[in-house]
Amino acid sequence: MIQQNARRVVSWSCVVLSALVAPIAAAGEILAPISQRFASQGGDETPSFQKHVVPLLGRLGCNGRACHGSFQGKGGFRLSLFGYDFKADFLALTDEENARIDLDSPLDSLIIHKPTSEDEHDGGKRYDVGSWNYHVIHRWIKDGAPFERQLEKLVELRVEPTEVRFDRQGQIIQVRAIAVWESGIEEDVTPLCRFSTNDSEVATVDKDGRVVSGVAGDTHIVAAYDKAVVAVPTICPVTDKAGDRYPKIVTKTVVDRLVVEKLRKLGLLPSEICTDEEFLRRVSLDLTGTLPKPKDVREFLLDTRNDKRAQKIEQLLNSPAYAAWWTTKLCDFTGNNSDQTQNATYPRTASPQYWYDWIYRRVEENVAYDELVAGIVLGKSRNEGESYTQYCESMGDIYSANDGATFADRETMPFYWARRDFRQAPERAISFAHSFLGVRIQCAQCHKHPFDQWSKNDFDEFSKFFGGVTASNRSAPDANKEYQAIMAKVDTDGLRGGQLRRKYEQLMKEGGVVPFPEVYVNHRPRPDTDDKSKKKRPVRNAGAKSASLLGREATDLSRIVDPRQPVMDWLRDADNPYFSKAFVNRLWAAYFGVGIVDPPDDMSLANPPSNRALLEHLATGFIEHEFDMKWVHREILNSETYQRSWRPNDTNLHDRRNFSRALPRRLPAEVVYDAIHQATGSDEYVNRWRVEVGDRAIAIAGSGTRMRGNASYALSVFGRNTRESSCDCDRSETPNLLQTIYLQNDEDVIKLIDRRGDGWLSQVAKQLGVIQKKKIPANIITQFERLDTSIKRIAKNGSKEQRRKLTARRKSLVKRYGDPNDVLEVEVNEKVDLRKIIEDAYLRTVSRTPQKSEMDRSLQYINEGDDKVESFRGLVWALINTKEFVVNH
Amino acid sequence: MAIHQTCDGVRRRDVLKIGAFGAGLTLAQYMRLAEAGDVKAAPAKAGIFIHLAGGPSHMDTFDLKPDAPKEYRGLFSPIATNVAGIQISEHLPKLAQCADKFAILRGVSHTLAAHRLGSEYVNTGTRPVASLEYPGYGAVVSREMPSGDDIPSFVAIPRNPHQKPGFLGVRYAPLNTGSTPRPGQPFNVRGISIGDGVSMTEVERRKNLLQDLDVAFKGYEQEDQLLAGLDKFSEQAHTIMTSSRSREAFDITKESPAFAAPFGESPFGQSCLLASRLVESGVRFVTISSGGWDTHQDNFTRLKERQLPPLDEGLSALFKGLAEKGLLESTAVFVTGEFGRTPKINSRSAEGGRDHYPRCMFMLMAGGGIRGGQVVGASDDKATGPDSDAITPDDAAATFYHNLGIDYTKEYQSSIGRPITIIRDGAAIKELVG
Repeated sequence: MIQQNARRVVSWSCVVLSALVAPIAAAGEILAPISQRFASQGGDETPSFQKHVVPLLGRLGCNGRACHGSFQGKGGFRLSLFGYDFKADFLALTDEENARIDLDSPLDSLIIHKPTSEDEHDGGKRYDVGSWNYHVIHRWIKDGAPFERQLEKLVELRVEPTEVRFDRQGQIIQVRAIAVWESGIEEDVTPLCRFSTNDSEVATVDKDGRVVSGVAGDTHIVAAYDKAVVAVPTICPVTDKAGDRYPKIVTKTVVDRLVVEKLRKLGLLPSEICTDEEFLRRVSLDLTGTLPKPKDVREFLLDTRNDKRAQKIEQLLNSPAYAAWWTTKLCDFTGNNSDQTQNATYPRTASPQYWYDWIYRRVEENVAYDELVAGIVLGKSRNEGESYTQYCESMGDIYSANDGATFADRETMPFYWARRDFRQAPERAISFAHSFLGVRIQCAQCHKHPFDQWSKNDFDEFSKFFGGVTASNRSAPDANKEYQAIMAKVDTDGLRGGQLRRKYEQLMKEGGVVPFPEVYVNHRPRPDTDDKSKKKRPVRNAGAKSASLLGREATDLSRIVDPRQPVMDWLRDADNPYFSKAFVNRLWAAYFGVGIVDPPDDMSLANPPSNRALLEHLATGFIEHEFDMKWVHREILNSETYQRSWRPNDTNLHDRRNFSRALPRRLPAEVVYDAIHQATGSDEYVNRWRVEVGDRAIAIAGSGTRMRGNASYALSVFGRNTRESSCDCDRSETPNLLQTIYLQNDEDVIKLIDRRGDGWLSQVAKQLGVIQKKKIPANIITQFERLDTSIKRIAKNGSKEQRRKLTARRKSLVKRYGDPNDVLEVEVNEKVDLRKIIEDAYLRTVSRTPQKSEMDRSLQYINEGDDKVESFRGLVWALINTKEFVVNH
Repeated sequence: MAIHQTCDGVRRRDVLKIGAFGAGLTLAQYMRLAEAGDVKAAPAKAGIFIHLAGGPSHMDTFDLKPDAPKEYRGLFSPIATNVAGIQISEHLPKLAQCADKFAILRGVSHTLAAHRLGSEYVNTGTRPVASLEYPGYGAVVSREMPSGDDIPSFVAIPRNPHQKPGFLGVRYAPLNTGSTPRPGQPFNVRGISIGDGVSMTEVERRKNLLQDLDVAFKGYEQEDQLLAGLDKFSEQAHTIMTSSRSREAFDITKESPAFAAPFGESPFGQSCLLASRLVESGVRFVTISSGGWDTHQDNFTRLKERQLPPLDEGLSALFKGLAEKGLLESTAVFVTGEFGRTPKINSRSAEGGRDHYPRCMFMLMAGGGIRGGQVVGASDDKATGPDSDAITPDDAAATFYHNLGIDYTKEYQSSIGRPITIIRDGAAIKELVG
């Protein structure tokens, strides 16, 4: 039956074209919508499978995921999800065993019989007998169910109007979608599109393309047909100040101008510029992940220079904390996860740190972003011209830090390719698209991306670039002899696993050379093979002869050494639609809490930027400034847009996507964790803080189960990036109950407040002249009690030696825990200015001086308590638990 | 408030919902659903999951093969239970006396022989995949049926690294107790207990101070989800710390000695005691993780002397205690290791040991709608695999969810908006819940 069909198809496809063009539309005219052409049974047009039948099945919901689009199918019938696999759909309809169409008796076809019946179809009634839908399907079967082997290319899906403008709620505007085909035919395909809205509060759209306005604001209506996805800006001004009635607003920078241009359309007025205190706290947290020191705040407020904000930005850009924090962000984007790279080098936990160090050096030196990325994309273990033995020697030097060797000295950073979950080409393609393009292509791994142009074939072709690199636990094959030679010298006694690794470390300590794992290029395109042998070899090892960059024609790989090279060249290409945008957009998202494209790693046709001109300006500028990362930081941070207050005005309370004000954002996990340490630390501790960043949470290298120190509980509760699933959402900045419990009552926080030596509270106690009461654990108190009893007993009748021993033990306990018999000295040094200490508490937590009412309330609190130190403990606790502390605003 | 677009065309606004119906339902929505009958009355209102970490030997506990060859059957003999026809190990005499209260699953089978992977499998009901972290049972339960505001939904004793919230988000993570309680001693839980030396007066005093000082966003709190959320959670945290319900839930000294004594003094027994108390207080889900079951060497001595007595004592006391308080019929209990152990005894030590063996294992289920006093499934005559159709961890998970009134075919959305069912395969086992 299939063969019979096939034959008929060939003969029909020619007929179809002529039939379509000739009688219905004259040249230059637009074909009327199919709903009109097939309103009645008459006419002689044969519907096209690609242009009409499959889109119609989509409109009717047949190929939805809950129905026949499910990967298991439904009722023994499976269609490709959202229908872009025309061949598979055609075969499913005409399957010999289970045909859904009956050429001999079209009305008995299951695809007519079932969906027109409420009873017999699990999916219910989908269309009526006698409707245009019915006529289309019926006619297609009646005319022999033709199938176009060669798909026709859709040149454009033109949606009219190009922008939907409303001026009140409940208004209705009809959009029309016109398909422009390669053959020159233009057809109104409105009834065949899938329509959706990006924000159903602002506007809704029905399946016939009727858009209804909701609350004022802006969003996009998305039309999808064939391979095209078109987003139409939809806008309803928020106030009556839009357009010509918008007040004149002087803008300082290009960024400001572009933002205000958009605000004008909506009638939104920007908020005031924030105060110096707000600016300093915001920019310090954003750029360096660090609270400003009390001293910084005081100095900044006294600074009278006009350009002091710009100066501050420069100063922060040159601090180690900037390099640490932005290295962490780059580790987020590239997925530095210690669980994934455990055995990528020796010692086995070193790779995440190496990964971090390598990026840190480049951020610190402000190496161009494309160059930094090239070191990862083209990463391999050996430097250019280096032998395997030299590589192993170099890694040994790094391990032992001989002559200050560090991994940052190596030319490239190969561990990106050594992650365990990213060994196969398709996973690598997904990860790569996320890291460097800000694009989610995983949908297309199984089906046509419903919100982007990518088909399954596009995905497969792109994946082929990534099969040619191998992460091995030994040398590349070309260095086999060297590997054997090193192995021969290393006496491993048949050791394996952890024992072997420890042995290797031992050898390296002694200056020996051990065989390191290697990431190398293994691209060997094979000559043409027949289908059989292809099947035996999975794609990842195939050494693809060609591959296609997203949206480009095929690239010949047969003469290329490293198939990642053309991908890197493409990233650097000024025409690359994603590379530069992805980076500037992520920076923007970090500074505003919302990307220009948001979520920032979902750049797709259906998710357009809220301000295209702004994104273009930054992306183009980044390229023109040769991918200078600091240029982007400066360009954003020096704008008034960044420096606006969070306080809304009469117009912009609900604005969350047009940057008319700053949005309060919860601090990132690492930053909160560090901020608690800083806020509760002594002045001396705080002075070290910004300079010595290595021990801070913002400088933790990897993510994963082996996180350093006791930070891991807090960091996971506050949603540190897990770097697991190739998604920016692996980092969470939403609040939850456990976070609050942590801040209010976790022993970590209590201990930090109470810490002696470098704690702020103990510094305050000294200032007050109070000998701080030491907290001695209950079991130690018991020990003291026993000792004291024994000492008393022995004083009466014991030997001198016994007495000396017991006294010595007591002394060592006192040294460690303090003496429980010490009386708390409650005499407070009256000269101490309590106001000054309260001000200090404010500066070190919320980075501002207290208002009068706040000062009065705090003073009252301190004075009503019997124990001043206890009261200051309460004050610092309260300040840490204000929303203001945990929020960047 | 990011808008997520999903693979299947659904667009969703990620709205932060707060409070008792934190799963994303407002109270009004919930009531409407409840009226429409979409909220099923479940047999169980709470769950206890006990992970015997390391993988307990099935052949020496609940699936003995006395007729198997010597190199398989081991040193232990079966004993009769209070249910005719069911036999278990001689070293589990107390459990034998309450076998009517639980069901034994035999011939459970999977293929993941590594601790981490096996553990993730049995703690989620889904075979682990690299690309996505599936939520553990406790996370799903706290999302679907959260506790009231003054008590946490999900408590892990002392912690459970295999029941992560996964793609549901960290707010469904458990409260880890961090340690196991000791007999007769008040129990301090991370973040819940007010530390020594801070009086309630002081707590209230500084709370008032906080209220007075936390005014930077005054007037705008309700206009911003983040600020509103922080306020709500701050209130809830304070309530949990200061509510007697919450503090008393963790205070096992409040149990009568007569009730507490049968649990024994072992950390496992005390954990079971705490679990029963938490469930009684309204906590929805408790996990207990108890290790030592990885008996590659000295399998028999270790089981007989160290592992089985506390298990026997603690678990039987839990079943009886829950029944005594009338909680067994509303508490779904699930006991499992990550795999069974090799039927054939190895020669690693004088008496031999058993190695990882996922092909054949046992599980226990009790409470809620589970029909106790029965064996479901069977292993072959040497316990090397299921006798006929295997029970999978997915089936067990489906049964557990079913027992908790949670539709295990329900779909969630991953963080990138992929639609995902809670468990991928598996169906509730009819004999257990039918």
